[in-house]
Amino acid sequence: MTIRQHTPLDLLRVLLMAMAFATASVAYSFEALISNERSGDLIHINPQGKTTHVVRICNRPRGMTKGATESDAVIACSDDNMIVVYDRSKRVITSSIESVPGAMNVSFHPTTGRIIVTNEGIAQASVYELDTGRLLAKLPTGLEPDGVVITNDGQTIFVASENAGLVHVFDGTSYQSKGLIRTNLRPRRIALLDQELWVSSEMGSRVEIFHVETLEKLDEVIFAPKGFRPEQMTPVDILFNPSANEAYVALGSANHVAVVDINSREITKYILVGRRAWGLGLSPDGKVLAVLNGLSDDFTFIDLDTKRPLLTKRAGLIPHSIEVFK
Amino acid sequence: MRRLSILSCLSILISSHVIATTFHITVVTAMDAEQINRGKSFAGIQTKIERPVHRAIDLALSESSTSFRAFNIDPELQRIDLNTEKPIAQQLRSIHPNAFVILDLPKTVFIEAAKLLSEAGRVVINTRHPDTDLRDSLCLPMLYHTIPSQRMYFDALGQFLIYRNWRKVLIVHGPTDEDRDRVRVLEQSLKKFGADISDIREFTLSHHPDDRDKNKPEFLTGGASYDVVAVVDSVRDFGRYIPYSTRRARPVVGDVGLVPVTWHRTLERYGAPQLNERYQIFDGEDLFPASESMSDSEFSAWSAIKLITNSLPIADLTSDVLDPRQILKDPDAQVDLYKGTRGSIRRWNHQLRQPILLTTGDAVIAVAPMPKFLHPKHYTDTLGFDEKESPCRLN
Repeated sequence: MTIRQHTPLDLLRVLLMAMAFATASVAYSFEALISNERSGDLIHINPQGKTTHVVRICNRPRGMTKGATESDAVIACSDDNMIVVYDRSKRVITSSIESVPGAMNVSFHPTTGRIIVTNEGIAQASVYELDTGRLLAKLPTGLEPDGVVITNDGQTIFVASENAGLVHVFDGTSYQSKGLIRTNLRPRRIALLDQELWVSSEMGSRVEIFHVETLEKLDEVIFAPKGFRPEQMTPVDILFNPSANEAYVALGSANHVAVVDINSREITKYILVGRRAWGLGLSPDGKVLAVLNGLSDDFTFIDLDTKRPLLTKRAGLIPHSIEVFK
Repeated sequence: MRRLSILSCLSILISSHVIATTFHITVVTAMDAEQINRGKSFAGIQTKIERPVHRAIDLALSESSTSFRAFNIDPELQRIDLNTEKPIAQQLRSIHPNAFVILDLPKTVFIEAAKLLSEAGRVVINTRHPDTDLRDSLCLPMLYHTIPSQRMYFDALGQFLIYRNWRKVLIVHGPTDEDRDRVRVLEQSLKKFGADISDIREFTLSHHPDDRDKNKPEFLTGGASYDVVAVVDSVRDFGRYIPYSTRRARPVVGDVGLVPVTWHRTLERYGAPQLNERYQIFDGEDLFPASESMSDSEFSAWSAIKLITNSLPIADLTSDVLDPRQILKDPDAQVDLYKGTRGSIRRWNHQLRQPILLTTGDAVIAVAPMPKFLHPKHYTDTLGFDEKESPCRLN
């Protein structure tokens, strides 16, 4: 028996790996879509990390969000100045909105059917009715607007301007400006957690937390994985997993994902992934975190029970955004 | 005005103070002292781009307009073009005591003006001269450098050569004092990272056959063993003829071939394409036409303004005039350089720390610091004089 030649620790490791693999292949059921900025396609990924379909979609697809139904994804096609709605079961574009300059990121508000798009080159965000494609409002921002969110009640829109170091706050009904949040350097993505607004500062190497109503700064999370200097932390995507009381932050050039306790705001774990980790997605059961590695053209699935990577597989060229569906 | 005109239509509610804080910026030039076509001695054509930094400053101010509104800052730009035939102290007198003074001047005038202004307590910014003596021996308390030092450029190159395992270096340099000074800096950088220098040879500006060992690239690079040729040619003159003419088939680095720079038109990450596009389409008034991208001086002038803009969150805005001294003294002063790592000020010699790009004409080959060159405190502090090495101690 060859197994006798191994130490008990080796045996344990093999058993753990086998268990992890068994969990991976049995328990998970989802489909992920990844937009690939440079290759201009979407890839469909199954829970084993296998690419099941590659669909040519448009020029420079970047921001992506779930649409009105569980089979719809709304995608910003930056170089085509266009928003498309993609049906993942039929694998076709079902509708599109044209003349959306420099569409970069997109957020969908399900109850009112509106989308908010950041227009990268023209210092603006814009609001559309997704069904009809009707333009409802243009929201002036600082240069290089990126992350955008709308509150669940549809009352407030937040848009990050990377260049200005500001989050612009707009009324979700009148579309008037109702304030500004001054952030650290290069605010990229915004995520809402009840009354908290989490903003990643890519060049400030931190996540800042603000109050949704008062806009006051509540706290900040500063990253420091072992062996890195502070300025190497370049956080981009933030994702919440409320059932686990966890937030995940992709640390960009630091090639790690940070796990943050939502209540204490303490960093509980750093997980090594690929190069320039930025896009994040979560399986519907909250068990698997998907991380896009922008410089190594691949993605990593992380088992959230053990906080260990399950697999890393090839994506298209420059994977930008990921959405995980049931 | 094209795209940037949108900024001027912005209206943003400002809730804080009512009275704006004025940010005084002064740009000093001396067009009469500029030697245009410095590279003409051998080639007879202009080989080195040298533009005034006005366009980059106007771009930085325009880019900052949203931030200025958010912090209720009123920028006030003053331009002074010195007449170097006359005493310059008088001509600098109109500069506001709290001005942020960018000196875009040839070196001798630069030193004179920097001394006068620093003595008078004015903040002075060097956006043009990488010369190490300005950091090490001049070392003025009010002088800050946003352009990288020569040592930073060559350290980036040294790291790259070691990373590539091109350890034997033949140095070929031009005949000027500037060239010889820079060779000394290059030697220090190569020594620091463990490269070997095969030989150091001087190019002679002549076509005469008797000088062929010193004017023909094939001869100049013959009779030595090397992995790479490093060219020091400050005026970008003869060096252009070294690549493809070396005796051995070896890469060329330095002032030609693989060149360390602070900015490049083909940097395609970290938001750099957006900044390059803004520079290309920007048209203010009374400006020089854009070339493909900012020169190192222009980028350094842009960085200087953005250092203030990006540091407004730590600025004392209670007064009606912004004090750049207060910002620059604060260790949290920082700037988004669109190079993947933020810039900040080295306390000991007031040098802006930043990554250096190793580039060819049409590509960024690497961004230094190179992998595995680690510094205990700051990611970019393996480039340039570290605190303990620096003879200048301003902290």
